Amino acid sequence: MVRLKVRRQDGDRVWHETFDVKDTPEMSVLEALFYVQERLDGGLCFRYSCRGAVCGSCAMLINKVPRLACRTQVSSVKNEMNVDAVKWGALARPVVKVAKDEILIEPLPNFNVIRDLVVDMEHFYDLLDYIKPWISAGDEVPKGGNLMSPEVEQQIEVYTNCILCATCHGACPAAGRDEMYLGPAALAKAWRFYLDPREQEKDKHARLEAVDNQSGLWGCDVVFKCVAVCPKKVTPTQGILAQRRQIPKNRIKKVFKRGKNSED
Amino acid sequence: MITHDIIIIGGGLAGLRAALEAHNRGTDVAVISKVHPIRSHSVAAQGGVNASLVHDDSWEAHALDTVRGSDYLADQDAVEVLCREAPERVLEMEHWGTLFSRTRDGHIAQRPFGGAGFPRTCYAGDRTGHNLLHTLHEQVLRARIKIYREWLVTRLVVDGGRCTGFIAMHTPDSKLEAFRAKATVLATGGYGRIYQRSTNAIINRGYGISLAYHAGVPLQDMEFVQFHPTTLLGTNILITEGARGEGGYLYNNRHERFMEKYATGMMELAPRDIVARSIQTEVDEGRGFDGGYVQLDITHLGEKKIEERLGGIRQISIDFAGIDPVKEPIPVQPGQHYSMGGVSCDANGATPLEGLYAAGECACISVHGANRLGGNSLLETIVFGKRAGEHAAGYVQETDVQGENAHLDSLASEEQNISDLMGGDGESFAVVRDELRSVMQQDVGVFRNQAGLQKAVETIRELREKGRNVRVKSGATSFNFELLNAIELKGMLELGQVIAKGALAREESRGAHYRTDFLERDDEHWLRHTLAYQTPEGPRLEYKEVTITQFQPKQREY
Ligand SMILES: Cc1cc2nc3c(=O)[nH]c(=O)nc-3n(C[C@H](O)[C@H](O)[C@H](O)COP(=O)(O)OP(=O)(O)OC[C@H]3O[C@@H](n4cnc5c(N)ncnc54)[C@H](O)[C@@H]3O)c2cc1C
Ligand code: FES
Repeated sequence: MVRLKVRRQDGDRVWHETFDVKDTPEMSVLEALFYVQERLDGGLCFRYSCRGAVCGSCAMLINKVPRLACRTQVSSVKNEMNVDAVKWGALARPVVKVAKDEILIEPLPNFNVIRDLVVDMEHFYDLLDYIKPWISAGDEVPKGGNLMSPEVEQQIEVYTNCILCATCHGACPAAGRDEMYLGPAALAKAWRFYLDPREQEKDKHARLEAVDNQSGLWGCDVVFKCVAVCPKKVTPTQGILAQRRQIPKNRIKKVFKRGKNSED
Repeated sequence: MITHDIIIIGGGLAGLRAALEAHNRGTDVAVISKVHPIRSHSVAAQGGVNASLVHDDSWEAHALDTVRGSDYLADQDAVEVLCREAPERVLEMEHWGTLFSRTRDGHIAQRPFGGAGFPRTCYAGDRTGHNLLHTLHEQVLRARIKIYREWLVTRLVVDGGRCTGFIAMHTPDSKLEAFRAKATVLATGGYGRIYQRSTNAIINRGYGISLAYHAGVPLQDMEFVQFHPTTLLGTNILITEGARGEGGYLYNNRHERFMEKYATGMMELAPRDIVARSIQTEVDEGRGFDGGYVQLDITHLGEKKIEERLGGIRQISIDFAGIDPVKEPIPVQPGQHYSMGGVSCDANGATPLEGLYAAGECACISVHGANRLGGNSLLETIVFGKRAGEHAAGYVQETDVQGENAHLDSLASEEQNISDLMGGDGESFAVVRDELRSVMQQDVGVFRNQAGLQKAVETIRELREKGRNVRVKSGATSFNFELLNAIELKGMLELGQVIAKGALAREESRGAHYRTDFLERDDEHWLRHTLAYQTPEGPRLEYKEVTITQFQPKQREY
C-alpha cells in the first residue's frame, strides 16, 4: 500500500486529499493516479497519453520535483519526501505537511491550474511560438535531399529530443519571476534551429535577435535547474549560453545589415 | 456552430500531413484533436520509415516485399502508390527539418527491417516518430493552420447521404459544439487499447474508427491485428524491431536462438507475425521464462552502438524495467501493436460516404493486407495523408456548404446521450473495459480457434449489454476523464465485436490472423477483403475482391 497526497483544485477551492493505492513492484505514479481515478474518485484529473515518456503530457510536481508521472516509479519516490524539498528551494513552497511515507503530488508550478493536476499549457505554447519554431524551408526540395554530417546531426539531436513536457519550465526560477520570460524549452529550441544547416542564415539571425533581451537569453539565472529535471537529457542552459556567445557577432551583422539596407 | 471547408479529425502524422496539403492548395482547413497534436501516438514510433532511396533499391522491390509481407491480401495498385511516392514524401520531411540519422557521407541512414530484402528503413535514431511529428507540427504552426486542441469528436453528421461535419466535446468545459465542413478527414489512429497488452498510447481506443462505422461506412479487414513480437515485459512498451535490425538475438530459457527453427533464412528479422508466433510457441511450450517472456539480447553490440542507434530503448529498459541492455538481455513478450484493418477507403482516402475521407492507421486502403511490414505505417501516414488532403481540397472546390438543421438535430441528440450517461448507480467503465481487454487478449490474440472466438463473440455481446448501464459518477465539468472514457468505451466494444466476428468467419490462416484449427492459407475462398457494416443485430459481413496487378500469390517463405 502507498499513500498519495494530491493537491486538488476546483475553481477557487484548493484542498489536499490522500488516497491509499495498492501498489505493485513496477507501478508508475501515473498508474497509481489511474488507480485513484478508476477505483476511488473518477473526478481526479491529470493529462496523459503515451505512458512511455515520449509524449510529454504528464508533467507534474512529485515530491516537489517536476517530473513525468509515467516515468517515475512509485517505489523510487515512496520514502523520498523531505529530502529533495530542501534542494528545490522555491518550489518547496507552499509548504505542505506530508508524512514520511506519503507521495506528494501537485500540479506543475509556474502555470495556472485549470483543475486538479491539469494546468493551462497555452501560455507555454505561445512562448514557443514566439521563436518561430520551424525551418523556413523553400518550396524546392533538393534532389536526393540535403546532406548533413553525422557530427552535426548529433549536435542538434541533443536539442531535438525535447518532448515539450514543460518540466523545465516548472523548475525554472526565472519563469517563476517573469511571466514573459521565454523559458528553457523555447530557448533550447531556438538553439536547435540555429545549429541546423538547413535553416536560412537570415532566419537564424532574426531569431537570435528576437531572443537577445531580458525576457530571452539574458533572463536566465544559469542555475541549471532545467537541465537537472529534463527527462530527455536536453541541456537548455548550455544552449542559452551558446547563444549568448553568438550575440556579439549577431549584433555586428545587424548593424551591417542596417547599413546595407540604407544604401539600397 | 464552427465552419471550415475541411476539418481533419486527428493531429497525428496522417492528420497533420493532410492539413498541410489542403492548406497548400488554398483551402480553409482546420485540425481537431482530443490531445495536443504532439501528444498523439505517432510520437512514439521508433524504428523508421521505408523508402527506396538508393539506386540499387527500387520501388518495385519495396512493393514486392510489402505484398509478400501482407500475405497477398494487400491491394497491389495501392501498394504501388505507397512505394512509388515514398522517396518524395521522405525527402520532403527531411527538407522540412526532420533530423534523420546520417551515413558517413551525409545521406539519410537506412537500416534493415523485418520482411524487407533491402535496408530501406530511414530512421532518426530510435525516435523516428517523434522527429517526424515534431517537424510536421512545426510546419503546421508555420502555415498558421487552426488547431482545435483537446476536443473529442463524438459523432459524425450525415445529411442527404453526405458527411457534413460532426459534433465534438470541448474537454476543458465539457460543452458540445457542432462543426460544419464540406469535407471531413478521419485521421484518428488505431485501437490498440482494446487489448490487455498493447504497445499503443493509452488514448488509442479506436473511437474514431467507430465514428465512421456508425455513419454507415464499412470497416475493412478488422480481424487482422498485428502483434509485435518484442514488447517490454510489464508495461508492454515497444522495443523496436530496429534492435533486431541492428543485430539483436532472441533466446529462450535454454539459451537457444530459437528463430533457427521457425525462419532459418531471416532468423530474428522474419516478418512480425512469424516472430510473434514463434515467441508465443516457445512460451506456451515451456521454453520461456517465468512470467511468459523470452530474452532479446543486444549486449554484444556494445555500449557505443547501443547509445548511438538504440539510446531510446536503452532508456526505456532502464526506466520501465530496471534493466540496462548494455549489460543484460531485455525481457520481451508479444503485444498488440497495429491495426491493419480500418475504415474502408480508396488510395485517395475517399470512403464510400461522400465528404468523408480517411488516412493513416484508422484507414484500410489496403496497403498492409494481412500483415504490415515495419516502417510502412509511418510511410502510409505521410503518403496517404497527403493524398487525402489533396483530394479533399479538390472535392471542396465543387461542393456547397450544407444547411445547419442536421447539425442542430445531432447536437441535441448527442446532448441527450451525454446526460443519460451521467450520475446515478451503474456499471463502472473501467470494469467493462477490463473485461473486454481480457477477452480480446485471451481469445482474439496471436493464436485463435473456433471455440475461443465463439466465446469471445458471446462475451462481447454481453459486455455491450452491460456497457449500456455504464454511468459516470463524477459531475466535474472540466476535464472529466471518467466521462470521456465512458463515451469511448462504446466504440471499443463495437470494434471488439467486429474483430471477433470477422476472425470467427475467416476459416484460414493468413498473415497476422492465425487459426489453430485452419492452419493453411486458403486463396480459393479467402483471398478477399472483409467488410463489416453496422446493423442493430451487430456487424453484417460482406466480402470484396483483392486487387492483384504484378505479383501472383505464392507461399510465403522466410
Ligand atoms: C510504439 C510504436 C512504435 C511504432 N513504430 C513504428 C515505426 O517505427 N515505423 C512505422 O512505420 N510505424 C510504426 N508504428 C506505427 C505508427 O506509429 C502508427 O501507425 C502511426 O503513427 C499512426 O499515425 P496516425 O496519424 O494514423 O494516428 P495517431 O498518431 O494515433 O493520431 C491519432 C490522432 O487522432 C486524434 N483522435 C483520435 N480519436 C479522436 C476523436 N474521437 N476526436 C478527436 N481526436 C481524435 C488523436 O488525438 C490523435 O491526434 C509504431 C506504433 C507503435 C505503437
Ligand atoms: S504519458 Fe506521455 S510522457 Fe507521460
